[in-house]
Amino acid sequence: MVADAVASGVVSDVPRLGSLAVDGARLIGRFIRAHPVSFAIAVFGSFNFAAAIVVSAVVVGHITDDVIVPVLDGGEPIDGRLRGAVIALALIAVWKATGIVIRRSGATWMQGRTQADLRTRLVEHLLGLELSWIRRQSTGDLLAVSDSDAGQSTYVLGPLPFASGALMLLIGSIVIVFVIDPILGVITAVGLITKVVVDITGAWRTFARFEGVQIRRGETSAVAHESVDGALTVKALGREDYEVERFTDVSLRLRDELIEIARRFTLYDAVQDALPPLTTVAVLVVGATRIDVGAMTAGDLATIAYLLSLIAFPLRLIGFVLWEVSGSLAAYRRVQQVLEVDDSVRYGALEPAGAAGAAGLASDGSLTFGYDGDIVLSDIDIDIRPGETVAIVGPTGSGKSTLVTLFARLWDPSAGAIRLDGRDLRDFARSALAGEVAFVGQDVFLFDDTVRGNISFGVDAGDHEIFEAARLAAAHDFIVDLPDGYDTRLGERGTSLSGGQRQRVALARALVRRPRLLILDDATSAVDPSIETGILLRLKESVLPSTVVLVAYRRSSISLADRVVYIEEGRVLGQGTHDELLGSVPGYARLIRAYEEDAAERETVR
Amino acid sequence: MNSEMTTTAALRRLFREIPGLGRGLLLTAGLAMVGTVLQVAIPVVVQLIIDIDILGGESVDISSAARRGGVAVAAMVVASFARRSATFRLSRLSASALATLRIKVFAHLHRLSSLHVQSERRGALVARVTSDIYRIQDFMEWAGMGMMIGVSQVVLAVAAMLFYRWQLALLVVLGVTVYGLALLVFQRILGRAHDRVRERVADSMSALGESITGLPTVRAYGAEGPTLHRVRSAVDAQFKAEFKTYSLGSALFSSAEVFAGGLTAAVVGVGILLGAESGLTAGGLIAFLFLVNLLVQPVQTLVETLDSAQAAGAGMRKVIGVLDTPVDLADPVDGMDLPDEPLDVAVRDLAFSYPTGDVVLSDVNVSIAPGRRIAVVGHTGSGKTTFAKLVVRLLDPASGVVEIGGVPVDRVRFASLRARVGYVPQEGFLFDTTVADNVRYGRPGVNDDAIRLAFADLGLTEWVDSLPDGIATRVGEGGSQLSAGERQLVALTRAWMSQPDLLVLDEATSAVDPALEVSLRRAIDRLISGRTSITVAHRLSTAEASDEVLVFDHGRLVERGRHPDLLVAGGVYSAMHRDWMAGTRT
Repeated sequence: MVADAVASGVVSDVPRLGSLAVDGARLIGRFIRAHPVSFAIAVFGSFNFAAAIVVSAVVVGHITDDVIVPVLDGGEPIDGRLRGAVIALALIAVWKATGIVIRRSGATWMQGRTQADLRTRLVEHLLGLELSWIRRQSTGDLLAVSDSDAGQSTYVLGPLPFASGALMLLIGSIVIVFVIDPILGVITAVGLITKVVVDITGAWRTFARFEGVQIRRGETSAVAHESVDGALTVKALGREDYEVERFTDVSLRLRDELIEIARRFTLYDAVQDALPPLTTVAVLVVGATRIDVGAMTAGDLATIAYLLSLIAFPLRLIGFVLWEVSGSLAAYRRVQQVLEVDDSVRYGALEPAGAAGAAGLASDGSLTFGYDGDIVLSDIDIDIRPGETVAIVGPTGSGKSTLVTLFARLWDPSAGAIRLDGRDLRDFARSALAGEVAFVGQDVFLFDDTVRGNISFGVDAGDHEIFEAARLAAAHDFIVDLPDGYDTRLGERGTSLSGGQRQRVALARALVRRPRLLILDDATSAVDPSIETGILLRLKESVLPSTVVLVAYRRSSISLADRVVYIEEGRVLGQGTHDELLGSVPGYARLIRAYEEDAAERETVR
Repeated sequence: MNSEMTTTAALRRLFREIPGLGRGLLLTAGLAMVGTVLQVAIPVVVQLIIDIDILGGESVDISSAARRGGVAVAAMVVASFARRSATFRLSRLSASALATLRIKVFAHLHRLSSLHVQSERRGALVARVTSDIYRIQDFMEWAGMGMMIGVSQVVLAVAAMLFYRWQLALLVVLGVTVYGLALLVFQRILGRAHDRVRERVADSMSALGESITGLPTVRAYGAEGPTLHRVRSAVDAQFKAEFKTYSLGSALFSSAEVFAGGLTAAVVGVGILLGAESGLTAGGLIAFLFLVNLLVQPVQTLVETLDSAQAAGAGMRKVIGVLDTPVDLADPVDGMDLPDEPLDVAVRDLAFSYPTGDVVLSDVNVSIAPGRRIAVVGHTGSGKTTFAKLVVRLLDPASGVVEIGGVPVDRVRFASLRARVGYVPQEGFLFDTTVADNVRYGRPGVNDDAIRLAFADLGLTEWVDSLPDGIATRVGEGGSQLSAGERQLVALTRAWMSQPDLLVLDEATSAVDPALEVSLRRAIDRLISGRTSITVAHRLSTAEASDEVLVFDHGRLVERGRHPDLLVAGGVYSAMHRDWMAGTRT
């Protein structure tokens, strides 16, 4: 869903200005309603800034008429008005600066808070969504939404208060000039409004191209990523030059896109940049004639010229807002798409029964699971007794992993129910279920935290419990050999472990919770077989009050189970002891024969 | 690496690395200078019209004012074109120059073994050719323009001031200089605050990233609460750091307004006190009020540019760091071709250690006759994969020699080496394209029929036909549409295409479906038959079927011989075998 939205961002048509304004206003309104006070403060600061500029221009006019012209041109003596002029100029400067500080503080607060809120809300929402939904998304897209899109959504808030002040400034300036002289007022209004219109048109026309730049940047990153990930293959096949050629292609396309955008942007920029000075010249020339007929003074002319020189930059902010609003809208739409996904896991209120000892697990006979129209599991009837070790066996694609995923309630069945000690998994409270069932998958995710933090992960566990769990998982010995033992940092910025070591840490993470039902989905695939056997034996013999369900590929793991459930094409074709199944289920016998013919070779010599 | 390199040195270095970077810069600077006339003309016109046309005579000289206005408009139109052209030229230059740099760095990356050895640094390496370069480019465009316009504006404005009244010009220049220096100090303080912000941003990005990447794990352990708490506090810490720093920044930079206002007040005061006797006219003093503003703003921009130069400098140093990393796997100059005959392998005193000093392999001596089928076994970390990579020169040894066909492998031209020696890694990487394109990746230009034939030769026709679009099936990012075993099949067929004389194969460890396993075994058997092969074995059957087994233990070659002989020898190999048998018989 998100991926579609991103893909459809291909150099789209120029957005209609009207819809952009309406949608933009709605987005801004939503943000303002969330933080009205900081927005009001920012706008207040911005209005003060605008007022100070207008007042400073008026004061410059008065100083011209009352001090500069009389003294330097009329030869009059200096009087007290000079001191007043100097003090007024200095005070206005302080006023203006105060306005800036207030505006920027308010704007920064509002933008930063909105961004932080969006990110937290996104993560909170994602944490509650069905894994079946999450699985259909690309992790990269979800990351981009919570990182860059949540950031970009709020970019419009940066220039917004300043732009509101600039709008006031535009109106105020035109009014002031009109009051001084209506003819100059018309010239000023035409000049400034044309500038704003050119600026807005430029921002709007350039924006469509700007998405093109983003897409090209995406391509460049994608090629760089793929090429770096596949570096070993590239080198082994001697294809470095080809990779460089591929990268050169996308790089040059990006370059051309950047140049094209600069070509358009600089054109509009030059025109809008020239308009205020050109207006000033027109005002000066026409103003001279107006002074001639006595309609105004030299000081009035100075006021207008000064105002026009100060107003040029603030007016650009109106264009900035429009520039940002298209980007913010596009980004916020992607954020909203995620926030609107109504696929949250619903939990019941059931608390654990307080029962000690291993848990039993049973499905009703009509258990079915499917997604995207494909039936993956149907009519599953399983009854696992407390304390049993059960192996789920079947060919690839038979649905074994999906089945155990349902046992841990990572996904929910489409029909039927799974009961833990007779109670539907869906009736358990969130925290209750996590305390009863632990799931370890094949792919291990370790957090950027210490080994200890990765094992305890959200539960209170003392050293004793942690060490005990690590010993059971055959992880203790290698952990104490790490540079800082249990305090060694893992993850992105820490020490990296081998695949088998990672799986053993993940297993310890599950065991420290002392689950009543432990689910291992090929969780030891990268562990040396002899170590794996040791782990499984210890689990069986340990005091851990746990029922164990394991998806097994290895002949050695299957033989450790009390009972085997054989699945093929989403149906249970047999359950019982290994020997029973060998005799009664031809498919199972075939599969085991394949394992055994492979016997010596299937397994690993390391 | 280059941590001590200054920003200026880094910049100079970039000019050296990108030959086109300096091209036409003088013309661009000249155009930017002309463009500045747009702003600087205003005070001059104000002065002329007020002094001469308005105050100069009995009545206002309208035709003279109109003439001046006409000249000014003409000058401004020219200036505006000049500025546009300067901005565009600079954007175009930086886009082209940085594209050149990006390609150069990328090409260099592919010549470094760290690209495939230190897999955990991959993200950082990608950043070198993407975000780091984007940042340098933004800086060059923005700072380049800021510098050019800023400097010309300062020069022209000071020239105009000097023309009107040197005493006042001196006052303004002095004032602006003091202010500029004060700003530099502010920048230092702000710079440190920004470093703290960057740390907080990195923390919150990492917390966000983990909460999403690790979501299934979080769910499996019911750790939503602590995870959300961690994200919330990281995000809040980022917000607080940003707010604090930006507030400090706005306080420091609003001082520009106070300063400009103070300077304007001083100019009025001093100008009036100097009086008409000093030759200062009313128009001249009013022009000064405009000129002060024209000076303060570029000074602020220049200081900000200096500041962002520090940040951009860090990016430049990282990029230069890549270029300065010596190529450790270079294609030999005047390299030789492998002899046109079956290839043997001779390894003498081979040793390899990581830059950290950890010894991975030492004292390896072995020779392998042409056509032999060799299996390499050993525990995880025994050095067997490193041995395989050294043989095909995906790594260079710390000491010792590998000879293929009698030629030291580092003397063999890459083109010859890669054409005659095949290597299949544990996890064959697939590119996001079709099965066919992946197979022909090593042999571009091969047609679809040849690819179908290759699958047939390896006994994989049935499998290929079972794919949705046959050999035209897209494999997805990293081959995600195929299973691990299927990816191996494609990687094996890819190796088959080049019909190497020596094949080095690192068997995959991950378990696959028995049905697929049969196909895999058959494909591997056909692939290695009739050529010299070295297989890093994870399956006992591979070792059993080999002509000779090499047993590695703790970085040394400890045993070699045929499987049955080694079994009874009572060494490492027989112990490994015993362990394994115990594991399956329980």
